[in-house]
Amino acid sequence: MSLPSSAPILIEDLTVAYGDQPVLDGLTLGVGAGRITALLGGNGAGKSTTLSTLLGFTRARSGRVAVCGIDPGAAPDAARRHIAYLPENVALYAHLSAVENADYLLALSDERHGRAAIVDALRAAGLQERAWDQRLAGFSKGMRQKVAIAVALLRAVPVLLLDEPTSGLDPRATADFNGLLSAVRERGTAVLMVTHDLLSAADVADEIAVLEAGRVAHRVAACGPERFDVRALHARFQVAA
Amino acid sequence: MRIVRLIARDELRLMLRNRVALIAFALILLLTGAAVASSWSHQRAIAERRARHQHAAERAFDAQPDRHPHRMVHYGHFLFRPLGPLAAFDPGVDAFTGNSMFLEGHRQNTANFGDVRQSSLLIRFGQLTPAFVLQIVAPLLLVFLGFGSLARETERGTLRLLMLQGASRRQLVAGKLLALGAVALAAAAPAMLGLLLIAGQPGALALPMLTIALGYGLYLGLWVVLILLVSAVVRRSRDALLVLVALWAVTSVLLPRAVPDLAGGAVPLRNRLQTEVAIARDLRRMGDSHDPDDPHFTRFRQALLDRHRVERVEDLPFNYKGLLALEGERLSAALFDLYAAQSFAAQARQNAMVDAAGLLSPAIALRGLSMAAAGTDFAAHRRFLEQAEAYRYALVQRLNRMQAEAVTYADDSATDAGADRRKRIGAAHWQALPDFRFVAPTGATLARAALPGLAMLGLWLVAASALLGWATRRLGAGR
Repeated sequence: MSLPSSAPILIEDLTVAYGDQPVLDGLTLGVGAGRITALLGGNGAGKSTTLSTLLGFTRARSGRVAVCGIDPGAAPDAARRHIAYLPENVALYAHLSAVENADYLLALSDERHGRAAIVDALRAAGLQERAWDQRLAGFSKGMRQKVAIAVALLRAVPVLLLDEPTSGLDPRATADFNGLLSAVRERGTAVLMVTHDLLSAADVADEIAVLEAGRVAHRVAACGPERFDVRALHARFQVAA
Repeated sequence: MRIVRLIARDELRLMLRNRVALIAFALILLLTGAAVASSWSHQRAIAERRARHQHAAERAFDAQPDRHPHRMVHYGHFLFRPLGPLAAFDPGVDAFTGNSMFLEGHRQNTANFGDVRQSSLLIRFGQLTPAFVLQIVAPLLLVFLGFGSLARETERGTLRLLMLQGASRRQLVAGKLLALGAVALAAAAPAMLGLLLIAGQPGALALPMLTIALGYGLYLGLWVVLILLVSAVVRRSRDALLVLVALWAVTSVLLPRAVPDLAGGAVPLRNRLQTEVAIARDLRRMGDSHDPDDPHFTRFRQALLDRHRVERVEDLPFNYKGLLALEGERLSAALFDLYAAQSFAAQARQNAMVDAAGLLSPAIALRGLSMAAAGTDFAAHRRFLEQAEAYRYALVQRLNRMQAEAVTYADDSATDAGADRRKRIGAAHWQALPDFRFVAPTGATLARAALPGLAMLGLWLVAASALLGWATRRLGAGR
């Protein structure tokens, strides 16, 4: 597969191992600007390691990784400045309210937004108004997820990495989230979404890549002659998982 | 710096929103404020009381009627150890060492009436002083406020979140340092305010006060670094708290109490009874001025007679008994000085052992520094004892000289009815004797004495900072 070298997310022949245990073995993947790629795969297939390598937390043994042209292994701080990341288990500050969390995290990224922008993002993420100024100590996982989504959306960066973004959301919130992702795509952000939620992936992704044994085993497009069939993909995914 | 400030601000916001932290902080402010006020008033009351007693003793001495000078030698004199203004910050050993001395001929008395022996409250609880609060309580407060600074971030996953927002490990640690450092400053503020109050008092010396402020700053800064070091290295907040409380208990409570006992066991001191028996034995060996056959005093008498070319002591141009008293005092004082020097040397060895333990416990290093700069350490006590002994010796020898020069040998030896009156000399003689004036050390002397403690704290801080630098580079790795 040939990837444009200007793609915001670029992975070529990536090999990562924990000790003697290979996790990624010749992975090649690229996500262009304004594209959403869903990364599927069974447990241990290397999905989270792929994200961790893009974030600069895991070093590649070989191959090439670039985020907006920056190697996150060599310059993690520089690479992270171009990334918004939504983890599966959202870690936020329980002593701060939803608005304060967003304000603090955005201030760290040197992206100051006023309260109006923050509450707009919280509203768009589906967080109820009465929760905006409540401390997160009493928030459910889904509510925290919405705060994190709002922060990720507010960051005007070219790359958005999502790790099981809809795992804590109810169906309505999931649908809203998918709508938001479409809006993000419209502004030219490259989105790589690790997920088990095939329906969501089918709903929003431009491309689905299935990881097996540390490399992309299947790749299907959302439109054109290669447009994927959810049922067939589900059957394949069940086998892979 | 923007990120460092943001992280520090959030850490402080967390503390402000934590009711337990707020209460603990309010308590330490209250405790330090109370310590400053009570210690200040205690020091002033003691200083005033001792000055009053000293004045009364001088008046009583001067008010003695016409007497035989040797009666005045045995009437004696009282001295009270003056208390410097910095004792309000750190009274050091003042409460434990005696603060008054009875001066008399033929013997050196030790200082008596330490405050702890006169107050059951002091024995049971000790004195609440700003130094105690900053040495013992403030580090514990910092531990409770800061143990989770970094461990909490790694434990809850927010460390990675911060790094994803562009904060580096170094900025994160610097922000936490800044926040906990600000708390340490705020905790020390009432005590430092007390120090400023002391600065306005007569006799307060700027250099020792600056040394004290620097020492406590280093000490609290060291605790801030140690807390973050443990919080960075230990995986869970709960474990960080356990490690830090154990560290505090060992270095601030256990070692400062155990090390002096160990030093006392390693270098035993003679007790007072043993010393007095030994001195009495040596005095007997030295000679008896009342024994006409005593070899030393026989030689002494013969040398005098030869020098003045006379045959009998009655023919000497002065009172031989006064000369005997002068010589006897010279000999006994030299003997007492010898025993005092041995005792001081043993205590110095004990203190050196305790000081060296500052490498194991920063609290010991700080305590030594603080007492030395405040002029309330063992050296200050020794300084008083030595000046008091010098004064005693000069006073007694002046009285002995009066006996030799103002009372004739014939009158001194007479036993007739009027002899007692003829042996007396006028009260103006003792009224003219100079009063004791304690020569306080200079600020530079006190500050110099605190340098070893400062150096040790500096070493601690450098070592802890180096370890924190190493821990910062590993922060969050493999988690």
